[in-house]
Amino acid sequence: MLFPFPRGYRDCELHSWQILTSCDNKLGLQNINGMSTRQASVHAKWIIGQVIGTKMKKTAKVRVTRLVLDPYLLKYYNKRKTYFAHDPLEQCTIGDVVLLKALPEKRSKHVNHELAEIVYKVGQVVDPLTGKRVAGTQYLEPLTESTEDTEVSLKEKLEQLNITASTTPPSAS
Amino acid sequence: MPMKGRFPIRRTLEFLQKGETVFKKSVQIMTVNYNTHGDLSEGARKFVFFNIPQIQYKNPWVQIMMFKNMTPSPFLRFYLDDGEQVLVDVEGKDHKEITNHVKMILGKSDKVLEAEALAKMELSNPANFGPKKYFLRECFSEVEGQVPHPGFVPLPKEMTGKYRAKLAAGSDE
Repeated sequence: MLFPFPRGYRDCELHSWQILTSCDNKLGLQNINGMSTRQASVHAKWIIGQVIGTKMKKTAKVRVTRLVLDPYLLKYYNKRKTYFAHDPLEQCTIGDVVLLKALPEKRSKHVNHELAEIVYKVGQVVDPLTGKRVAGTQYLEPLTESTEDTEVSLKEKLEQLNITASTTPPSAS
Repeated sequence: MPMKGRFPIRRTLEFLQKGETVFKKSVQIMTVNYNTHGDLSEGARKFVFFNIPQIQYKNPWVQIMMFKNMTPSPFLRFYLDDGEQVLVDVEGKDHKEITNHVKMILGKSDKVLEAEALAKMELSNPANFGPKKYFLRECFSEVEGQVPHPGFVPLPKEMTGKYRAKLAAGSDE
């Protein structure tokens, strides 16, 4: 039985992922042309995650997993974090794998990212190497496209072959 | 008492530090799609098992995500800063070939790494002394072969101030 938290989760020196979670939204004061504007800068410009909720209007709740090294076991485990992404066309469904882009300015208190593209739509995954629809390890569409009708070509091919029953038995040579 | 697990060497700092792939600054996300069964995915599976921890150790700010059994053929996908995506087909390849290929296309070259290491060394000059947080040693007495602080090791009688003063007073008289 695996523990819910890996062993050795004591106070240890902050590693990169913890620094990311604690100061993810750095508010920096910038002087542009003598005018100071507050620009919200998120550390992660591009992130990939899975959509877990779409109940909000034009917003998708996305769960992002990053690999974090356990300091004692020295093994990488997935650490989850939820982000809210702006989805103006409401095209996400739960279970989609989605690429998010950081917005230049905070849209609201929690929304800092917007939907860049849906990488893998649930139930309609497209294999990027072939461009065909795929379900697990099976292709849903045939790989090679047939240029002719199968029925017509079969008859024509049989006529072309001109197979007739031969009266003489084949001689063994 | 041996270490636990299948290949526990993966969980040693030495192994993690041996990873040579340091991504260029523009690489933000790395996605690995592979299958749990099948000979063609064997290389990808070994890559995930052995080399992903090394890569993540050297690139703590890159988000790495693994997807299992989503497409029939395994591939790697990199998402760069400017929105560009790099697709790497790894079907049938060995895990060493995959690492070399990835290092060649998106990793920093050896020259660049050496230059960075040199620049880092120049910042921390061992000839400087100061607080332990920033420098190697605080006082010259910490160097081997030098006179240690009398607080730790009492000075030989001949070097103490009061003996010398007594000698000087005795020779004067």
